[in-house]
Amino acid sequence: MRVLFPLFTAVALLMVGRAEAQAPDYTKEVRPILSQHCFKCHGPDEKQRQAGLRLDNYKSASALLATSHRALIARKPQQSELVKRIFTSGSSIMPPLTANKPLSDAQKRILQRWIAAGAEYKPHWAFIAPKQVALPTVKQTKWVRNPIDNFILSSLEKTGLTPSPSADKATLLRRVSLDLIGLPPTPEDTEAFLKDKRPDAYERLVDRLLASPHYGERWARRWLDLARYADTNGYEKDRTRPIWLYRDWVINALNRDMPFNKFTIEQLAGDMLPNATLDQKIATGLHRNTMLNEEGGIDPLEYRFYAMTDRLATTGTTWLGLTTGCAQCHSHKFDPITQKEYYQMMAFLNNADEPEMEVLRPELMVKRQEIQGQIDLRTINLKQKFPAKASLNAVDNLYLKLTEWLGQVESKAVHWTTLKPSKATSNSPLLTVQPDNSVLSSGDITKQDTYTLTYPTGGRAITAVRLECLPDDSLPKGGPGRVFYEGSFGDFLLSELTLLNGGTPVKFSTAYTDNGGNPKQAIDDSPQSFWSSNGVRGKAVTAVFVLDKPLSTDVFTLKMLFEFYYPSALGRFRISITSDSKISDTVLPAEVDEMLVIPADQRTVPQRTVLLNYYLSIAPELAKEREEIKKLRDQLPEIPSTLVFKERPSNNTRPTYIHKRGEFLQPTERVEPSTLAVLNPFPTGIPRNRLTFAQWIVSPQNPLVGRVAVNRQWAALFGKGIVTTLDDFGYQGQLPSHPELLDWLAIEFEKKNWSLKQLHRLILTSATYRQTAVVPSSAKAKDPVNRLLSYFPRTRMEAELIRDNALTVCGLLSRKMGGPSVFPPQKPSITTEGTFGALQWTVSSGEDRYRRGLYTFSKRTAPYAIFTTFDAPSGEACVARREVSNTPLQALTLLNNEVFLEAAQTLGKSMLLQKGTLEERITALFRRCLTRNPDNDELRLLKVYFETQKQRFDNKELDAKLIAGVGEGDLNERAAWTALSRALLNLDEFVTKQ
Amino acid sequence: MNPKDVSEEITRRHFFGECGVGVGKIALASLLADSALPQAASAQVQNPLAPKAPHFKPKAKRVIHLFMAGAPSQLDLFDYKPTLTQYEGKPIPPSVIMGQRYAFIRPDAACLGPRFKFAKHGQSGAEISEVMPHLAKVVDDICIIKSVKTDQFNHAPAQILLNTGFSQPGRPSMGSWVSYGLGAETKDLPGFVVMSTGSGISGGAANWSSGFLPTLYSGVRFRNQGDPILDVTSPNGVDSRLQKDSLELISALNHKRLEVAKDPEIASRISAYEMAYRLQTSAPELMDLKSESKATLEMYGADPDKPSFARACILARRMIERGVRFVNIYHEGWDGHSDVAGNLRGNCGATDKACAALIQDLKQRGLLEDTLVIWGGEFGRTPMIESNPTRGTSLGRDHHPQAYTMWMAGGGIKPGLTYGKTDDLGFNIVENLVHVHDIQATVLHLLGLNHERLTYRYAGRDFRLTDVHGHVVKDILA
Repeated sequence: MRVLFPLFTAVALLMVGRAEAQAPDYTKEVRPILSQHCFKCHGPDEKQRQAGLRLDNYKSASALLATSHRALIARKPQQSELVKRIFTSGSSIMPPLTANKPLSDAQKRILQRWIAAGAEYKPHWAFIAPKQVALPTVKQTKWVRNPIDNFILSSLEKTGLTPSPSADKATLLRRVSLDLIGLPPTPEDTEAFLKDKRPDAYERLVDRLLASPHYGERWARRWLDLARYADTNGYEKDRTRPIWLYRDWVINALNRDMPFNKFTIEQLAGDMLPNATLDQKIATGLHRNTMLNEEGGIDPLEYRFYAMTDRLATTGTTWLGLTTGCAQCHSHKFDPITQKEYYQMMAFLNNADEPEMEVLRPELMVKRQEIQGQIDLRTINLKQKFPAKASLNAVDNLYLKLTEWLGQVESKAVHWTTLKPSKATSNSPLLTVQPDNSVLSSGDITKQDTYTLTYPTGGRAITAVRLECLPDDSLPKGGPGRVFYEGSFGDFLLSELTLLNGGTPVKFSTAYTDNGGNPKQAIDDSPQSFWSSNGVRGKAVTAVFVLDKPLSTDVFTLKMLFEFYYPSALGRFRISITSDSKISDTVLPAEVDEMLVIPADQRTVPQRTVLLNYYLSIAPELAKEREEIKKLRDQLPEIPSTLVFKERPSNNTRPTYIHKRGEFLQPTERVEPSTLAVLNPFPTGIPRNRLTFAQWIVSPQNPLVGRVAVNRQWAALFGKGIVTTLDDFGYQGQLPSHPELLDWLAIEFEKKNWSLKQLHRLILTSATYRQTAVVPSSAKAKDPVNRLLSYFPRTRMEAELIRDNALTVCGLLSRKMGGPSVFPPQKPSITTEGTFGALQWTVSSGEDRYRRGLYTFSKRTAPYAIFTTFDAPSGEACVARREVSNTPLQALTLLNNEVFLEAAQTLGKSMLLQKGTLEERITALFRRCLTRNPDNDELRLLKVYFETQKQRFDNKELDAKLIAGVGEGDLNERAAWTALSRALLNLDEFVTKQ
Repeated sequence: MNPKDVSEEITRRHFFGECGVGVGKIALASLLADSALPQAASAQVQNPLAPKAPHFKPKAKRVIHLFMAGAPSQLDLFDYKPTLTQYEGKPIPPSVIMGQRYAFIRPDAACLGPRFKFAKHGQSGAEISEVMPHLAKVVDDICIIKSVKTDQFNHAPAQILLNTGFSQPGRPSMGSWVSYGLGAETKDLPGFVVMSTGSGISGGAANWSSGFLPTLYSGVRFRNQGDPILDVTSPNGVDSRLQKDSLELISALNHKRLEVAKDPEIASRISAYEMAYRLQTSAPELMDLKSESKATLEMYGADPDKPSFARACILARRMIERGVRFVNIYHEGWDGHSDVAGNLRGNCGATDKACAALIQDLKQRGLLEDTLVIWGGEFGRTPMIESNPTRGTSLGRDHHPQAYTMWMAGGGIKPGLTYGKTDDLGFNIVENLVHVHDIQATVLHLLGLNHERLTYRYAGRDFRLTDVHGHVVKDILA
């Protein structure tokens, strides 16, 4: 083997001379080799770097190594260590044999020629801002309809290919309908379009469909894949979550053609826009689509961290086309993203609270006010309803009873003094003292939270402490607690309450409450038992803790422990003390108690009114009347809510750390928000927060965002992107098939105010899009996978659209838009058998049975089975490109599933109304399903089938009732049409856009 | 033959007699050859599940994974720790606990001694508790690993980690990786099957999902209620002739479309419909246990008509006999937070006999040598007691990720071996730690696959089942 090396050098030198003239293209030829074979150990990841060698830029690659070699020296391949090492056959060969990534001879020569030509590094194409170049000139100018065609045709001509002619009108109509609204044309649409001989009939069609409200539905589904939308939390419990308002926001935004930059900013940071509207807040649901693990005993902050990594990965994929997720555990091995940059980017998104927001729209408010008005009126009139008694009229009777009651409770009233804490701290949540001396908790809570509060007493002696647990709009279900998963939302569990005087615990003797719970469990020295809200929501609950012996102190400390297998801290509370020696076991609401301690003759009218109203709310004589009021209250229409982001206040920002190996338990260095060095610089002199981050993403200087967005639209229409790796524009991604077209479109998109509708119109009206979907023989050798688009690529429809189409052709589809998700038919066992978070799948009634697929309830651990079979994602991760499989289970679904059988039966029923000869009727049915007419062969096959089956039904070989389902008219005929319809719904053409 | 002739020929033919896998494929191939289809197209028509060569000669050809979801208590079944009895009522020192987080208990909870008697069994002398009398009879055929460790202490993430190598949903499961790596040996049944016989599975469909691999590598659920495979039964009233006539019509029209559009996906769809039809016959045949002898049914303790773990085990054997590559049986319900002894009595009662019968049955049929059987949960249970009146628990054990027990048998595993060791309290592993990533690497190794080479490019990265971890546990290989 020793002789081989000099021999090779000689050959190499010979070759160098020849190669000088034709340097390999760095981006197309050299970079992919380096990236695939070298960067893993000699790339951007400093931790994995071997021998101190970094090969992704010239400066590092040509630096003097510890071995006193240089990996590459421009124009001197024979002196470059890289060349020596890739050509050697010895053990020092690179890449090492253990890497199992050997270079081919051709690849080795490319690297060698590249070094010989000067080893010129070019920045990665995707990191340089796009530019619009002059449109390429083409020969077949007549074919060109718009600039897209110049680019496509130019590549075809260079390759010696010719574009395909325009598809026929019926095919185009079907294609455009499926692409723009996701539904096939109706027979009337078809007739109208075929008759429309105006030269711009096609453009009119496109415009009509762009204006259809179904446009938003069709395009929203693709966006929801990226948003990892689902109606449940995921993981074990997988409970339902309210997020459909976000789904509807996406549909509406797309229908209104909201500019993509605005669309982006509102979803990432709508809550931070000045005077943010309700809709802008709803839009932030995007990043609330992360999963929530409600399994007993989890560490909530750990799963919040996982949600953050998901948010980062999703943001990277959706807007930057970068696999940022790779940098969670270590610096990216291929792309210039360091681990530090990853966490710096996370810091932008890491400062939000995650509440559930009620969405009270004016229409609902009006409806609620109608009922609320009645409630208020009845409440005001309560005193008039007080019954008279024998000798007493109603008013006198009420007065008598009220006086009696006052007599009972006045003696129980306690003189409370509300205290203001001089200090309020905790292990994690922020405690803020409110003007009313209450304390509000916000920020992250854990499974074990301790509140520590210092209260100056003003020198008062203490015999008891009162804890008022108060509602607040910022709390789940209005509070008073902060439970937000696993348990009952808005609950709290007070495990232990401890009063310390100079560090020494002071003993409580007993405790009372007004909520029926047992506050003694908070003073029993057992953290396992607790006092809870006992189901009270949106109202105050109070407990009184009585000291064993009166205490005299100027200041005391109160500790509250909330410890359970899920976080259960109090949300808002207020502390009062008393020096009264007698503490009643009846705990009265604070505001009532306050009035009662005032001597009766000194009470003002408003003070008396407080007491009267309270009495009216408890008087046994009015129980029935109050029941009526409660009934009314139950009739108040529920206010829908949705998950949103809410930026945290500046005095409670959440720090972000680098996590060693990406692990939650290994936070290291703290980082501040910053973007990737390789992209457009972050503007100076503005705050660094989620809003400015969103603005940075869609700034015209960002080289990626336009390309990534445009490429996704292209892929939706042509099956493949110009860059086929929709989620990876980095070094490992595929190079664009038409880089200049991609850039031209990206700039055009921005010029046209980021309008998706205009972009769609542009693409759809090109000659490229209008080509036939027939594979021309010329493509066979020159472009076997149709990268150059010499014909229109056929693609199978998405899962939801297959069902939408079946429902449309048979006429069952409901066109109702928006609202809570629905439950179309499926076997109940799908969401119960073997499912931990079992869901009783109660099939929706009425038109909700037939809504479009994107409204189907999406359960993460047991998704709607038909959709899964046709490759729909489960909403567990951001998906830029769905797989398109072709499986026997899909065949079984279309053949045997009740949804498709019902569609066939409905079609069968409708055929009884279809007039004409058998051939005409079959043609009408065929056209309804596939938009086009059958040819003679097809018609013959369909007719033979129909007649055969009809005869079998007539002969009673088959039970027509079972096949035809419920309906009227000739049963056997209906059954035969059902069978024929069923076959048509199974055709490849039925599930394919072509 | 010009394309038109082919089409007529196909329509004339008896679709399933001649036009199935055999002749149908030939006809299709000639059709493709004659047409202007691109070269790459004919290759794409091939079944992506066609058998593929492994990286090296495998010891196991198929896997039955008995997933004891909910986490059985290793301390009351396999890992006998009399010391725990001595320490009952006393907490484990913090130096042992090392800050481990728990789901429900406080780290200072007291120890709980073994709930059952243990005895040594077989020639190997493996220690098994009295609650698994049947497994005790086959200990010489299995390899007990007492030193398994995981990273997760909650069910869903730990189950997903064991199955997919990552604790959050979204990555391909073991069965999916194996289907992707080796293809399927059967054209009449799915290559990767999932059954469930206990209560609900915490990790849900993520446990058998194909993740970012194409959907056809996903596990196919065989259900206890209704159709074993969703929609495998023709609609009510559709007899076999109607189904066949319909499929012939569909095929003929699809062939005509293929002729016009020359899109190889149409050919794929035609063959998918052929397999769908075969599934309609093979699935009921598989599920029908009439041909099983009374002795076999008794050995497993199975009622042929009632869904149970035992019946699932027989079905698993029947599946692998018919070429299914990877079978998952989930039996969830081992989550003994309270009355761990009662929990074990119940679950062992439902599973012990069938597990032992499966080993014996496979052995007597000569299938054990190249079938790998795996038994185990997602983590273990604590040496400490779980007792909380508020939650209504007493004499239970919490989740314990640091050390637990699994067993494996057949398919290249050393029989009669007890491997790995924990400390006297059963808290930490002191000898031969086997991380769940190592289990995955070993399973792939036994199937002839190098876990570092079985990769799939997704989102710019070559993903593996074992993420960036995993070592083959050479010591347990036969």
